Amino acid sequence: MNYFQKMKGVSQSPPHVSRLEVLLSWLGSFLGIAAIGAMNYVYMGSQENALMIASFAASAVLLFGAPKSPLAQPRNLVGGHLLAAFIGVAFCKIFITQPALAASLAVSTAIAVMHLTRTLHPPAGATALNAVIGGPKVHALGFMYPAIPVAIGVAIMLLVALLFNNAARNRRYPEFWL
Amino acid sequence: MADTSFKACAPVQISDADIFTAMREISGYLDITPSDFKELYLKAYDHALSRLTRVVKVREVMTSNVITAKQEFPLEKVAEIMAVNHISGLPVIDDRGKPLGVISERDFLEVMVGRKSANLMEIIVQCLKGKNCLMAPVRIKLAKDIMTSPAIIVGGDDSVDDVSKLFASKGINRTPVVDSEQRIIGIVTRGDLMKAPVAGGKP
Repeated sequence: MNYFQKMKGVSQSPPHVSRLEVLLSWLGSFLGIAAIGAMNYVYMGSQENALMIASFAASAVLLFGAPKSPLAQPRNLVGGHLLAAFIGVAFCKIFITQPALAASLAVSTAIAVMHLTRTLHPPAGATALNAVIGGPKVHALGFMYPAIPVAIGVAIMLLVALLFNNAARNRRYPEFWL
Repeated sequence: MADTSFKACAPVQISDADIFTAMREISGYLDITPSDFKELYLKAYDHALSRLTRVVKVREVMTSNVITAKQEFPLEKVAEIMAVNHISGLPVIDDRGKPLGVISERDFLEVMVGRKSANLMEIIVQCLKGKNCLMAPVRIKLAKDIMTSPAIIVGGDDSVDDVSKLFASKGINRTPVVDSEQRIIGIVTRGDLMKAPVAGGKP
């Protein structure tokens, strides 16, 4: 298969999921994000969105939209986000005057480290990026960022995923822990 | 070369549509494409097949009371041995028992017609047309003249899996089995391999 033939693709998209699955994905992700929002409201006050980062939305896609995926498993969710958060903060500090370089290195290094640790979790790429581009509030957190908001949010999402996905008759979660 | 010995064990030809339908039957989103699944399935099948057949040794499935010929035997005698014993081929060995070659029905057909890949029907046609007596070369030649040599040999401890692959790659149907000093201890045929136990059962 040559270079251009490869670009045509070889297979087809997986099938539609059932209406019930759609509803469950909708409800689960609503509850997951709502739980983080509620924690945020209780502990941080209504105005500050300190606990909510965009990469949790991407994790919700996997945890509630494709809970069987290897990428959605607890090892990947927790390991991926924590490693990526740490790597993101580190590059942000090292290349403080070159944010574009810090951002690129944070994302690419996070992916490489997730591969090496079998914790690949696509949303964590955004967690690494957010450490660099998240603005003064995130920068002020420094190495607290992996703990708050990342670890707190991940823990809440994991808990909701366990409670919700196993309550549905045709779902289970996780496929594996470690 | 066609891998005929494995045809019986070839994995079921599943289509992309089969996989797609199966994926639809599993509730929840599977983040895998049908072609990924097919690739996995075929590879897993190969591994399963070698796991189930690797452990069985040739010694367990071979015929040990092997009927042989010597290289100076006239073909008439070789044919008679094959006829009496109802076998379609035999190894030709030297005085020490070392296999020198193998003679099969195919070698007889070839010497009668005078070229490679001859078949029985050609001989019948020529006989019915009353052309020439195809038996002439058979009367004067010896075992060593028509045997396929050198003999392809296998050891008693070789795996059935490896020997199946050898048969397929060389296009042969039987091979002498030898001990560490190259002396014949048996013969293994495609039929023997077909009867080889799978799934770790006793022969």
